[in-house]
Amino acid sequence: MKQLIDELKAIPGVVGACVYSSREGLQETNLPGIFRVDRLAAVGKQLTKLYAAGRMSFDDLTDVSLHYDESVVVARELQKNLLIFAICDPSFNHNLLSMSFNLLQEEFQSGQFSQADVAESAPATPVPTAAASASQLDARQLALLEQMKGKLGRVLGPMAGYVFAEVVEVWGRHGASAERLDSLIELLDKEIADEDKSATYRRLIATELQAFKER
Amino acid sequence: MATAREFVARIDAIDGVAGCLLVRDDGVLLGQTLDDPEVFSTLLVISNNLSREVMEKVGFSYCQHVSFSRSSKRNFYLFPIDRYLLGVVQRTDSYVPDMLEAVYRLIGRVTTGNSAGGTSGG
Repeated sequence: MKQLIDELKAIPGVVGACVYSSREGLQETNLPGIFRVDRLAAVGKQLTKLYAAGRMSFDDLTDVSLHYDESVVVARELQKNLLIFAICDPSFNHNLLSMSFNLLQEEFQSGQFSQADVAESAPATPVPTAAASASQLDARQLALLEQMKGKLGRVLGPMAGYVFAEVVEVWGRHGASAERLDSLIELLDKEIADEDKSATYRRLIATELQAFKER
Repeated sequence: MATAREFVARIDAIDGVAGCLLVRDDGVLLGQTLDDPEVFSTLLVISNNLSREVMEKVGFSYCQHVSFSRSSKRNFYLFPIDRYLLGVVQRTDSYVPDMLEAVYRLIGRVTTGNSAGGTSGG
């Protein structure tokens, strides 16, 4: 994996690249140390959301590029849950990078690389998926989560399902249980990142939570 | 002083532009020449927020535009303009650098509510 992104770095104008897994976080990077790993992981997360939003509107989406004054960030989904992104100088050759992404994607799709290869190259601790986290809950608790996800849609719009799954995954790392619902709501507050919207969300789910606790 | 509708009409007339829309950053549609503006306006708002978050995380200063490249070549572009978001759909046969330059030139001429002129919703 490292070798692959090092090849991208050889393209004129490409500062470096990262591979980000939506399940396991940042997998690999060859960007200079000035780009902190925790920040790159956060960027990977936001780009994954952006790509998902683009895919909802365009079935044939290939790349998403963010053109800033100093740099351009180009993201491509290599396979489901796995995103590669490169940070480039504004003068980079987009066609060349896009072609290299195509080749990488073909290699992934033809099975020359798999999610296992990615995991091997990263010493990251495996984390439970949202589904695995949720599997620790009983049917009544799962029904409550579904209701909470539905209500989140009224606050966050079409990205709600995606955001909710990610938050449940993080929440589940410390054990998904009814006793820790307050902690789940606090994590959702952080993702909503707006006091008024958080208050609205808490109001929206109050009835369901009350009913759940009273049973 | 350019009204939103005039601005949209001028963007739409640029060679290489298949259609466009202008929304406020809260998603309110101000003008459009596309058939399904609701789909695009939602994408504009979400993309603007996420591109801003990426900008803050890495420490970049300003987002010029976000582009969604498609295999059909009908690429979609988001241009943040102060409190407004311009979305542009590219024609498949357009020369992108020329189209982007023309869009930027027009954006540069438009003054927003922060200055003496204004892009109004009229």
